[in-house]
Amino acid sequence: MTDLDFRQGSPPANGPQSTTNLADILERVLDKGIVIAGDIKIDLLDIELLTIRLRLFVASVDTAKKAGIDWWETDPALSSRAKRDALEDENRRLRERLQALEPAGTDETDRNVDDRDNSKEAGQR
Amino acid sequence: MTHPAPRDRAPDAAGVTYVFAVCRGTRAVNTADVTGLAGMPGGAAVRLLPSGPLTAVVQTVPADDFTDEVWQARLSDPQEIERYARAHHEVVSAAAVHGPAVPLPLATLYHDDDRARRALDGEAHRFHGVLKRIAHHAEWGVKVYEPEPPAAQEEREPAPVGDGGREAPAPGAGLAYLNRKRGVQERRERRREQALSVAESVDAQLRALAAASRRLRTHAAVPGGDGRVHVLNATYLVADQRAEELAALVRALGERTGTRIELTGPWVPYSFVGEV
Repeated sequence: MTDLDFRQGSPPANGPQSTTNLADILERVLDKGIVIAGDIKIDLLDIELLTIRLRLFVASVDTAKKAGIDWWETDPALSSRAKRDALEDENRRLRERLQALEPAGTDETDRNVDDRDNSKEAGQR
Repeated sequence: MTHPAPRDRAPDAAGVTYVFAVCRGTRAVNTADVTGLAGMPGGAAVRLLPSGPLTAVVQTVPADDFTDEVWQARLSDPQEIERYARAHHEVVSAAAVHGPAVPLPLATLYHDDDRARRALDGEAHRFHGVLKRIAHHAEWGVKVYEPEPPAAQEEREPAPVGDGGREAPAPGAGLAYLNRKRGVQERRERRREQALSVAESVDAQLRALAAASRRLRTHAAVPGGDGRVHVLNATYLVADQRAEELAALVRALGERTGTRIELTGPWVPYSFVGEV
């Protein structure tokens, strides 16, 4: 779990050896001015937010799991998997309701629901 | 990667172009330096993409594994971030072995080679400026640590409260306790101030030797870690022929100040390509 090591800072960092401190790499590969804009927009977060998130995660996850606490895995705000699950649930519920309202529902209406879901997904980000 | 819900369309099997770094013309990078590398997990072979006088180090990666959505999931997983960040770093470092290379940030993606080439061409003057600036230079990271507390147990918060048989407190014990605490706090502050002033003088001396410098954020102490705290996390662009001088200076400063100073590098000048 603690492969991500923010503590150990001493290994001689020569090029791409795996001993190079990950925090040192992250602050270099993520945190620099965008030299050039890509076609596909990837929001990599602010390095500070990201490291805080990871640090908290690394520090607490083992202890918490030992105590049987795993709420972050189901909290959509904290876990992207949970966010997906929540969306899936919502999709299913919407589809069921639509089916109930329009018993003769066709593929066409299904697709409309999907479209609506997708736009909602985009709006959440 | 799994999609949240079954979609109507088939999963996008197409590839997109991931750009790691930009170098001067093909001769500057030995193809063998980069083509043997794994690059991004799931991607095709790492290769060179010539574009006018510039050459990009690129890789075709599966489009549906490099969407923002997938990256967001990836960024929630420390092991995944590590995997991708190290893969990126490895290719960038290899690209810079035989000449200057401008690293691009993690996850710089184009729909295809043509789009990537067009983007490079559009920014060619900037790339040339940066390449000129970083040629024969490397980035070196320097961290100054706050000194370890002299008497460890005294300083640490009541971590191991192991004394089971506690005696009744003597009169005045509370006041003594508070005074002791205050003393600890004052010593801690004094140590920190000293460390910060050491950091400032280290930075000033290294700046005199460097072509450019940048302050990075200090990494906070990690809960459950060894408690070491940075007071300086800086990075310097140093000419290759002055690298030994830099190492000697860092060593000398560490000895003179009795402070732990750590030097990392040489790095590809990641921190010195953003502005020009």
